[in-house]
Amino acid sequence: MTDMLRAPAEVKYAEELDWLESVDDGPKPFSWRLSPRMVRLFVLGSERADGLDREISQKWFGDRSFVERSIVTLASDRGLLLIGDPGTGKSWLAELLAAAICRNSTLVVQGTAGTTEDHIKYSWNVSMVIARGQSRESMIPSPIMTAMEQGVVGRFEELTRSTSDVQDALISILSEKYVSIPELDDDNIVFAQPGFSIIATANSRDRGVNDLSSALKRRFNFVRIPVVTNKRSEAEIVRFRTSELLRRHRIELDVPPTLLDILLQSFADLRAAAAAAGSDDEKLESALSTAEQIGVLEDAILHSHFFGDRTLRAGTLAGSLVGSLARRAPEDLAILNKYWHGVVEPRSKSDGGSWPEFLEGGREAIATLS
Amino acid sequence: MSGSAGTFAPLRAQLEAAATAFAGGPDALADILTGIVDDVDRALGEELEIFPVCHHSPASALAMARRLREKQPTVIYLELCEDLRPLLEELRNCRLPVALQAFASDLDGFPPAWAPLNIVAPISEASAEYQAIAYALETPGVELVLVDRSADHVFQWLPAESSDPAADAGPESSDTEDDDAVPDDTGGQPPEESALHGEAVGIGIGDLRPRFAELRSHLLHHGKVRHWSEWWDQYVEQPLADADYDTYRQVMVLIGSLFRRLRPPADAHDDDRDADRERYMWTRMRQHMATSGVDRSRCLYVCGAFHAASPVAEFGTAPGTPDWEISPPTGTRWLYGLIPSSQSAIERQFGLAPGSVSIAQAGWAKAVGRGGVTPYRLSGQQEGRKRGRSKKQAPVPAAPAPVTDRLSGFLSRPPVLDEVDEAELLGWCVDIVRLARRNGYLASTADAIAVFETSILLAGIRNRARPTPYDFADAAVTCIEKDVVPGRRDVRRLCEILLGGDRIGQVGYDALPPLARDVFDRLAPLGLALETRTIQRALLDLTARPELVPCSDLLWVLHRLLPDGIVRPIMGERRLGERSIQESWDLGLGRHQRAVIELGYEGITVEQVLEKRLRRSVWAPDATAAIALAAVEDAILFLPSRRFVDELGTRAVELLAAERTVDDAPEVLRRIRRLLAHYRNTEPELPAWCEAFVTTGYAHYCTLLPTAFVEEETGVRQVAAMLGFLFSMESLALSLGCDRAQLELAVRQSHPEAPAKVALLWAAQSHLGLLPLAQLRTRCAELLTNPLVVPAFPHYLSGFVQALEAVPSLAPFVVEVISEAFARLPDPVLLPWLPKLITTLREGAPDLVPLLVREAGRTFPAGLAALDAWVPPWSADAPAPVAAVSGDGVAAASTGPVVGLLRAHPGACDAVAELLGCDAGWRPDEPPADESRASEAALLLTAQPTTASAVADLLAGAAGAR
Repeated sequence: MTDMLRAPAEVKYAEELDWLESVDDGPKPFSWRLSPRMVRLFVLGSERADGLDREISQKWFGDRSFVERSIVTLASDRGLLLIGDPGTGKSWLAELLAAAICRNSTLVVQGTAGTTEDHIKYSWNVSMVIARGQSRESMIPSPIMTAMEQGVVGRFEELTRSTSDVQDALISILSEKYVSIPELDDDNIVFAQPGFSIIATANSRDRGVNDLSSALKRRFNFVRIPVVTNKRSEAEIVRFRTSELLRRHRIELDVPPTLLDILLQSFADLRAAAAAAGSDDEKLESALSTAEQIGVLEDAILHSHFFGDRTLRAGTLAGSLVGSLARRAPEDLAILNKYWHGVVEPRSKSDGGSWPEFLEGGREAIATLS
Repeated sequence: MSGSAGTFAPLRAQLEAAATAFAGGPDALADILTGIVDDVDRALGEELEIFPVCHHSPASALAMARRLREKQPTVIYLELCEDLRPLLEELRNCRLPVALQAFASDLDGFPPAWAPLNIVAPISEASAEYQAIAYALETPGVELVLVDRSADHVFQWLPAESSDPAADAGPESSDTEDDDAVPDDTGGQPPEESALHGEAVGIGIGDLRPRFAELRSHLLHHGKVRHWSEWWDQYVEQPLADADYDTYRQVMVLIGSLFRRLRPPADAHDDDRDADRERYMWTRMRQHMATSGVDRSRCLYVCGAFHAASPVAEFGTAPGTPDWEISPPTGTRWLYGLIPSSQSAIERQFGLAPGSVSIAQAGWAKAVGRGGVTPYRLSGQQEGRKRGRSKKQAPVPAAPAPVTDRLSGFLSRPPVLDEVDEAELLGWCVDIVRLARRNGYLASTADAIAVFETSILLAGIRNRARPTPYDFADAAVTCIEKDVVPGRRDVRRLCEILLGGDRIGQVGYDALPPLARDVFDRLAPLGLALETRTIQRALLDLTARPELVPCSDLLWVLHRLLPDGIVRPIMGERRLGERSIQESWDLGLGRHQRAVIELGYEGITVEQVLEKRLRRSVWAPDATAAIALAAVEDAILFLPSRRFVDELGTRAVELLAAERTVDDAPEVLRRIRRLLAHYRNTEPELPAWCEAFVTTGYAHYCTLLPTAFVEEETGVRQVAAMLGFLFSMESLALSLGCDRAQLELAVRQSHPEAPAKVALLWAAQSHLGLLPLAQLRTRCAELLTNPLVVPAFPHYLSGFVQALEAVPSLAPFVVEVISEAFARLPDPVLLPWLPKLITTLREGAPDLVPLLVREAGRTFPAGLAALDAWVPPWSADAPAPVAAVSGDGVAAASTGPVVGLLRAHPGACDAVAELLGCDAGWRPDEPPADESRASEAALLLTAQPTTASAVADLLAGAAGAR
């Protein structure tokens, strides 16, 4: 498994899941591999009070009730729709839940403007159809149909990116729990096995692009995942994800806590500024999510690893921050310039530490881009 | 304590063993654990029965109701400020929840910055203290004694250097729920209902919460709950609801003792205060027993569980227990009253999770409805359904049973939970869907089923046998809430409404202070239900129904005294010289009962309160003449007392004479002008104080004028207002004996440097005749030619515009100066200069610009066509100086309808001329000067007709083509 660039959660945590399954004595709904409480434990990590023999690490950071509500929804009759700003960990939560419940998080349909109904139901292998005619063998089931047949969890990423008529193909799947194949004469209905459910994710920034029909809304329970604003848990998330990325790149590099603080602080400041802004021109295009912080840090780490002296410096971090947040040419740069001179400069004078270097790095980066 | 020393021995031994096993030896942990058992032992061994309570806990209330029926005590000692006792009788007239309030604004012995001191103790129905109060007040022969420190002591015990007593007083108000743990669904401003207590310090009985954050977060984390109220409900409230009395008592003392022993050392001050309160209460109880000689076994002491586990030496009623010396109260005069409260206000005051008090109330109602307990209830309470008082013979008081160990069993077995109350949950599910639909959500029966299923699943994953209201709310949010629409109630809020909603109390008429009762009596002619919580619209037709005039007067006074929005005029005004014939008002007196009640602490009638406030404002150390004039105005408007107005006016004169700055000059000018106009219209002569004010002001401002012109910190506006005062009051002041020379000297002494003030001075000089208009015009022209001064020209203009306040006759000249500047300055200078002019005018003289615009409108022609032929009046006047030199005063106006009229009927003019001895005779009629110019154009056209003909052809061709 080590030759995968990024292993899915069920592979990555296979050993942990095996162990949890072996000690799990709680009641399991349908064909679930773990009981709901164990699923929660897998996602949120264990504590001493849980009385387990080994420690289970925390994999998703956020309010406990979100996880509980998600798990409960999957055990009920409805689909689960995780909705939130980009980078709030929706897809990661979906992957963890699917991995814990059925050990398969790869049955994914990616919603795009080009997604068609075939991607949700089934399509045909044309050469086989020509050679042998339409049959179950010449049919290509979609990931959702596979999930139905196997009684596992299917995932639909970015549901609101696909068009409304395509979305509505899910309605019958979620209520009747079968897909009929009118092209076949017999064996023309695929029934969902117990345990089948759908986790969809939707981006709240895309609201209104392809809004869900009320019929579909009714078949989903919505769990809204907010942007993490608690500094402590945000630091935790950034540290957790970065160490994972470093492991993946096989890079030995320390992230000094002061730099992590600087990163978190600047994002917090920029978020506050965005919240106070009156129009879209006054705020950065970026959602300033936790995922973006991780992106900035990763960029800085890679940069200093391959082009620098293999230590992470504040200047590099500032460059990466500017580079990843400046998306629109005049507006974003102007906002960053204002931030750099209105907030970072006074802070570097009053606080010192790595701030002066951060200030310099940012200035240079803004100058280069302008 | 020794009486039952052996009762808890096995438990103590067991805990010691556990401590040894965990910590590897008897140490601090063992001390704490066994200490807790000792505390329980001590509290239960006390001969005076201690009843530990937790606030807003239905379990406490139930246990209290049961115990009172069983024991029938004759004296109840209650942990509540002792000076609030008389208020309790008034609870009969109120709808709960209400709050007992102690209020002091005249402080004696406290730092003045603390004023006003304000304490509230909310009482809600689902509380043990209400049960005790109702029992004591309804049962003949039972005495209710409040034993806690008085409101005065609450503040006495605060550190004197504290700047904000509201934040320091009591752990109750400073200790709030961990906000991180509660998802913020409410957002934004707290609703009005939750602000019912204002800035008061909250006093609650039996606050039971871990005193340090780590313990709380530990308990929340392992309890898998989000906030403390939920933890308490699940782990204490539910198991204790049906527990027997001994178990209840032991468990409560145990929890109190646990939180008491696990406290951060930083709590030293709170610790002292808690201990002092206990010393105070025990001392008071022993004093009461000694004087009344009551049997200890017939008494019941109701206190927070925290205080039940008290380590102080003064604890107990055994003979020989040392007394504590209670400090005498300060000289502060305290006032008492009841104010309405609400469940959300209680939650906010004591930092409870939103909805928790509503849930407790729902739990109480359910427990009562289930039967088994008949709660006590005060008779005569508003909306009181007669359900409480049983006609049954009171049971014979039970003999005290020996203390047995109930703790071991309680601690070692899991809580026995209620069986799944399916019907109740189903009812909730159906109701929430209905409620959601009514609030614009797309919800159907399928959602009700989903909510039901999800609630049970959530309870399962959270290890609860039965879904709690918290699980239900989570499930409802998951299944129903799909969109967030601003302005729509969110589903969590709907759940709160469903579970009882926010209940808002009301103070009955009889419990109101005299002022409030007086207000309601006097507004009775309006015929409105003022006590309801809705906003009432009052329509007053004062000509058709003159009997409503007193109501209108009262409403205006209330409008002046109460905070904004309570009594709001929609139509109608009351200003000097104005009286409405019809008025319409929005009245929210029932909704804002607290404001009216707190007004009652200041006096007996609203007029008295207003008089007191006005008098206080003019005698305050920071009072100014402008404030005093405002007070005079208010007094004239609202209090028909000439004597009082004169008193305030005299004070205004004193204040003006003592003032060393002229910051308020614009305000003073505005107000005195208004007052003078008022008196001139209504009185045969000016009151003495007005005359004194004008003469004093004249002398005062003359004296200050030279300095004000020079001082940098004095603005142009202030100087302009001073000049305005001096010039517009001049005739009055001179008639009262002032000397004009004083003013002329003052102007001569003024040598300003700032351009705006220079312009002001010039205007003043021109008004006084010290500077002829022609010279002023030359000076302005010089300014425009000097390139070094041009950038400062807008300031000069601003000064001139400001001067219009004092010298309105200068308006045509100012228009002229501005027009000249536009005409003469080259574009490269003018264009950058324009924005500066606009900003300067906007800052300096926003209210005078309209005057200028009006004057400009009068000067400039209205149509574009007329503009070409227009000659500015000042250019037309250019030969005027010559005419003036020649002594011909009428040269300026030789044409126009007036002249025409005079020429046609010369009789009157001739008569006047003869009377005045002027025999210059009529001048011959001259042709208008413009005619020559007009003929010039005609000549040019006649000489060069080509262009005009070509245009005529072109136009004719165009018309033909069409």
